[in-house]
Amino acid sequence: MELTRWKWLAGDGGRGAGCAPGEEDSTVAQGSSGRKPTGPQNNKGSSGGNSSKSAASKPPKGGKQQSISRKSVAQARTSNTNNRTQLIIGVVAVVVIAAIIIIGIVMNQKETAVQNAGYGASTKSVATESNGVVSVSNPSVTGTTPKVIDLYEDALCPACTEFEAQFGQQINQAVDEGKLTVNVHMLTFLDPRSFSQNYSTRAAAASLCVAQEDGSQSGVYMGFRSALFASDTQPTEGGSADLTDQQLADLATSKGASDAAAQCITSGQNMAAATAADQSSTATLKAATSGQVATPTVVQNGAPVKTSVDWLTTLLAQP
Amino acid sequence: MTVAQTGSRRILVWDVVGLLVRLGLAAVWLLSGFEKASDPRETIVAVRSYELLPESLVSTVAATLPYLEISLGVLLVLGFATRLAAALSAVLLLVFIGGVISAAVRGLSIDCGCFGGGGQVSVGATTYTLEILRDIGFLALAGYLIWRPDTPLSIDRFVRRRAEVTAVSAADETAD
Repeated sequence: MELTRWKWLAGDGGRGAGCAPGEEDSTVAQGSSGRKPTGPQNNKGSSGGNSSKSAASKPPKGGKQQSISRKSVAQARTSNTNNRTQLIIGVVAVVVIAAIIIIGIVMNQKETAVQNAGYGASTKSVATESNGVVSVSNPSVTGTTPKVIDLYEDALCPACTEFEAQFGQQINQAVDEGKLTVNVHMLTFLDPRSFSQNYSTRAAAASLCVAQEDGSQSGVYMGFRSALFASDTQPTEGGSADLTDQQLADLATSKGASDAAAQCITSGQNMAAATAADQSSTATLKAATSGQVATPTVVQNGAPVKTSVDWLTTLLAQP
Repeated sequence: MTVAQTGSRRILVWDVVGLLVRLGLAAVWLLSGFEKASDPRETIVAVRSYELLPESLVSTVAATLPYLEISLGVLLVLGFATRLAAALSAVLLLVFIGGVISAAVRGLSIDCGCFGGGGQVSVGATTYTLEILRDIGFLALAGYLIWRPDTPLSIDRFVRRRAEVTAVSAADETAD
């Protein structure tokens, strides 16, 4: 009798290869009742069912009593073991979750770490504007050939502000040290999401004004560009306000721009140039990314650069 | 014999359903988790766009969320602590649904960022109803696994069967 029962629960009862018969019984019972919880609890059902079966076929008297006591011992053990097993599984699961999250946060911190923190604003860069693209470099450094990147941004794009917060200082330093030339392309596809419906274009036009009027003044253009992408300046998409032309002019002035630049911004004289630049830059971006227009995008030698945390370090180390 | 055959066919159906549900929910978490983890800056933008959290918590939540999702996906793939993983999934999905509903109620124009991406979209381009319905579908998967956490090809089932065998043979020894 013991042997029979042992085989029965061990899944050797001869019914079905994949599922232990004990399992089948309990699951069928659940299927029909539709309420019984699965998991550890159903062991009671299965072992109880088996035991009573064996009790029924057993001779009466002492044998029955023995069977009942054995049943309760088996039940107690099964449920004790299961409670403990479930507890261990639960604890291990929580530890797994915690471990994955901790590893993830460490990786995330590495990936989002601010590069060259403490360098601050660009002090030695100059900017030249050509066909709506602003080229920023430090030509006074001689003897090295700077790496050239094209940077595509939209003044309203929040990811561009995250990008600026993380890599802005590293870009400033690389440009100041003459190792990097940045061609800044200001796109305007987020205009419809701005409060004024044309913020991206107005900000792009303002950037052109600063580059044209004060590009030769060290750091002024890059200072204004960084200010556009500062989290406390950038308007929110779908927000209830953005910067007026006057506010853009004031922002430029606060970064060292001349009255001529401020005048250029408030008069809106570069609006058409900004729109034209958006069209030509969108075309070059699409050519580089096989059609995708997203900002911020860094392009080098006609191919997009994946901006993982060490992209600029890697790029500057290229032979 | 007939009863036994009907029984095992029924089992097979339930087992297949359970396995599909478990792996389906696992796929949802792994996909959305990896999408979010692969672009941490975008995830920060997506979390911030809900305008529910103070700025000091935005980056913490954005850093934690993808890996919480991945860990739930890993547990579900292995079938390890299935009921716990399903319960946590349900809680997380309820939080997501609540977030999307609150964004809709407050009239925000955002993408839920459910599978990466996120941030603002133009007015009228929101898909809140669809996003909520989809999350409710995922919630149903989690609910199923809370109800029936026992699925084939799972560590849970393997461990439980071993425990049963051990307990019964031990009980037999004692009784003898």
